[in-house]
Amino acid sequence: MLKGLLTLLRKIRPNTDKEARILLIGLDNAGKTTLLKQLASEEVTQVTPTAGFNIKSVAAEGFKLNVWDIGGQDKIRAYWRNYFENTDMLIYVIDCTDRNRLSETGDELLSILSDERLRGVPLLVFANKQDLPTAMSASEVAEKIKLVELENRTWQIQACSAIKGDGVKDGMNWACKNIKKN
Amino acid sequence: MSEEESSNELEGGFQINWMILRDADTGNIIWQENKDFSSSKTEHQAYVPVKILDLRAVSREINFSTTTEMENFRLDQKVLFKGRILEEWFFEMGFVGANTTNTWQSTIEAAPESQMMPAKVLNGNVTIETHFYDKQDLITKSVVRLFYV
Repeated sequence: MLKGLLTLLRKIRPNTDKEARILLIGLDNAGKTTLLKQLASEEVTQVTPTAGFNIKSVAAEGFKLNVWDIGGQDKIRAYWRNYFENTDMLIYVIDCTDRNRLSETGDELLSILSDERLRGVPLLVFANKQDLPTAMSASEVAEKIKLVELENRTWQIQACSAIKGDGVKDGMNWACKNIKKN
Repeated sequence: MSEEESSNELEGGFQINWMILRDADTGNIIWQENKDFSSSKTEHQAYVPVKILDLRAVSREINFSTTTEMENFRLDQKVLFKGRILEEWFFEMGFVGANTTNTWQSTIEAAPESQMMPAKVLNGNVTIETHFYDKQDLITKSVVRLFYV
């Protein structure tokens, strides 16, 4: 039984060419790195803020998957755009306990989606930190950041707890099924 | 400018912070070393548990920092057995901001034939060589020789 990122690679493989790219972004402290580590079955207890990027590349039988986790701190958000090219799936992570910055994260997302290089790229939003009692629900987040108004975009919002792993698999199954075909 | 000269110029701003080898299936750490592996002139040695050879896939993770901005950062990682390439991975990251710390992890499912080589044959004969470039310029390289214990 295969686990971790190699499993993900197998699921995507029949749909695409030689290489696939998943871009993971969101504000700082949203839980992107924890999510990535959870995907790779790694320990998630000691995750520090990403002052740059974390990339996980997996390959089997000539097919490659690259998952890019780009830091979300204000000063490095400007770098996000450097990595839009050739993206096959955009994953946007939201801290659902951070009510103060919900509109900020919504605005960042809309701004990203307006970029020409991400046209036609499917969007998966992880409504993270559902293990905390103060977390907003996925539907509340979807409504407040106006996901439902998105046009010409295949999207999905998935409630999850990156730290516990709940919902992560479901979201990734959707991502594998809907990844952009090259 | 020769490769050597440009390498010296950039090397000051670039540093490898740590390297980790993991069982790709469980995510468990098999070997970790927190030191700068980028000193090009030295070959580093890693003593790894022999059970690593039974694993279906091993992830190699490198964490590095740069003080200078890079326009087109890329790397080339090879696993060699007595100088013969068993695996090779080219990866292009593109732009890398100044004063950033980044991690690249690669996982390649091992080819069945390389899994069959016994530890005593492999011992001290396998190296992981990683070359780091900005555009055409070599920034630095790291060579880690594996010993199975």
